Amino acid sequence: MEHSLILLHDNRQVFTSDEHWLYPLFELELFLKDAAFPLDQLFLKDKIAGKAAASLIVRLGIRNCFIELLSERAIPVFEQYGVKYAYDQLVDHIQCRTEDLITDKMSMEDTYLFLRKRAGKVQGTSLKINSLTVDVAGKRILEKLDLELGRGEQLVVQGENGCGKSTLLRSILGLILPVSGSVSIGEELVGSAKWRKNSALTGYLNQETIKNYFPITAAEVVAIGVSGIKISNRERDYRVELSMRKTGSFHLQNQLYHQLSGGEKQRVSLARCLCQNARILLLDEPTSYLDEKGKEELGELLVDLSRNEAPTMLLVSHDTNWTNQLNWYKKTLKDGRLW
Amino acid sequence: MVELFTYPPILKGFIVLILTGFAFPITGVYLLRMNLLPLRFMLMHGAILGGAISLAMDVNPFGGTLIVNLLLVLLITWMSRSLKTDPGQLSAFFMVVSISLAFIFIYRFQIPAKDTLSLMWGSLYTLNGFEFIGTLAFSLLLILFQSFFRHQLRAVFFDADIAQTSGVNETGFYYAIILITAVTVAAAMKLIGALLLDALLLLPALIASYHAKSYRGMMLWSSFWGGMFAIVGFLLSLALGLPASSTIAVFASVVFLILILAKRK
Repeated sequence: MEHSLILLHDNRQVFTSDEHWLYPLFELELFLKDAAFPLDQLFLKDKIAGKAAASLIVRLGIRNCFIELLSERAIPVFEQYGVKYAYDQLVDHIQCRTEDLITDKMSMEDTYLFLRKRAGKVQGTSLKINSLTVDVAGKRILEKLDLELGRGEQLVVQGENGCGKSTLLRSILGLILPVSGSVSIGEELVGSAKWRKNSALTGYLNQETIKNYFPITAAEVVAIGVSGIKISNRERDYRVELSMRKTGSFHLQNQLYHQLSGGEKQRVSLARCLCQNARILLLDEPTSYLDEKGKEELGELLVDLSRNEAPTMLLVSHDTNWTNQLNWYKKTLKDGRLW
Repeated sequence: MVELFTYPPILKGFIVLILTGFAFPITGVYLLRMNLLPLRFMLMHGAILGGAISLAMDVNPFGGTLIVNLLLVLLITWMSRSLKTDPGQLSAFFMVVSISLAFIFIYRFQIPAKDTLSLMWGSLYTLNGFEFIGTLAFSLLLILFQSFFRHQLRAVFFDADIAQTSGVNETGFYYAIILITAVTVAAAMKLIGALLLDALLLLPALIASYHAKSYRGMMLWSSFWGGMFAIVGFLLSLALGLPASSTIAVFASVVFLILILAKRK
């Protein structure tokens, strides 16, 4: 096979890739997003496939494939989802660390997200908090707090009111100076000159308490996300529209922000963070002023976001019923530390 | 009435009023959005203090009001941010201090009351060359500042934290807004006086806030109303033989009332 991956439609070659590992399949994913081929008429030829590649092939919706070197671990995945497969050579496993890391407990979506992160196909950046101690009004709120989040990971921080959840977020944002310890976003130390230049990489969705009755449209609020950078009006409009469409808030663009419902405001705020191209999203009690429907919609939006753009997300909330539905990793803030 | 414009003081006053009429409501929007109304009151008192000190020193009161106002806003902003104190409370404190000091100066240096009170109603037709050029230049700078930094200002007006996390230098813009407010109040006091400056600053912004549908609309409508009040008020004052400042203020108030009543219906 001259290419590492070939896609055929009616025996006609429509896509090829010479990349390695799982990258041809991620390239194919992008290709199929814009193409309009009936998936059952596509035939995929791949050089090598294990459980990881099989999962991606299933998720792409490919129904027929030929693999030159196939791992036995891929077969249950193909059979479970009804993918017809053929191969040249079958081996019990392939030398790939990724295949060993995929467990049977992982759902198809979990596997997909895991592979995207592993392939660096996430927008998120890492967050590292090292022995952070913060005082507010002379009172110790955070005490030698440590936290590490990898690219595209999500974490819910729970805790009672007043335990310091918002203080934690404000420290990450650089809005509160710590007594000691450090916060790093990606490679940048919060508070450093380099971080100041890139501070917009952190998006902030605060409690919906902004009593903003000043005339400002939803689209203008979203455009705030790019206030700190010099871009053309055309680029600004494009980014605003794209991020509003991604959060399903484009139809609200000309409405006054203060006239929107709590759920609509949070959609617009998320669009603002996307427009900002934020690599890490900090969400402070985002459900505070939402009804049940609003909470459900926000949950769906965050899950979508974690699967697509996949920014690193840190959410603080005391609404355990709602955060349980998100199915994110959780920690509790108590006595100034995370447990 | 046209022949009146052949008099240089009237022509100069009209030119300045047109430009400030369109430009100063921008500061009115800043005042409303940033909740700086107590600061504006303090600045009016600060301007009287500056005027009293200038009169005591026998120098131009315009420069004195400008310097005192700038010093006061910098002091209040620095204190409120470093001591984490409400700027409104600090403004009230400095308002009392300013007016007390002003009366001490008036008493101690035996400044004629009418000279001090002239600060209260302005003197549009007595602009000297420096005041004329200075006010025109400041108005143009204000319009340019708003045009050039409109996106950053929109972020600061929306929410300070969000502005900062969007990469906007919120502190820098806050200081700029405060300084602009100080200069605007000092200039407006010279034009139409302490008691009537809201006709140029606040009423246009207030009216615009009732019907504007966006931040952009708010800015444009404020400028439009401010310009209209200045032009129509000035022409009415010439036609009716009334003081320009009072006529502008009364005309602006009547339009405000009509629009409020129309909105209620």
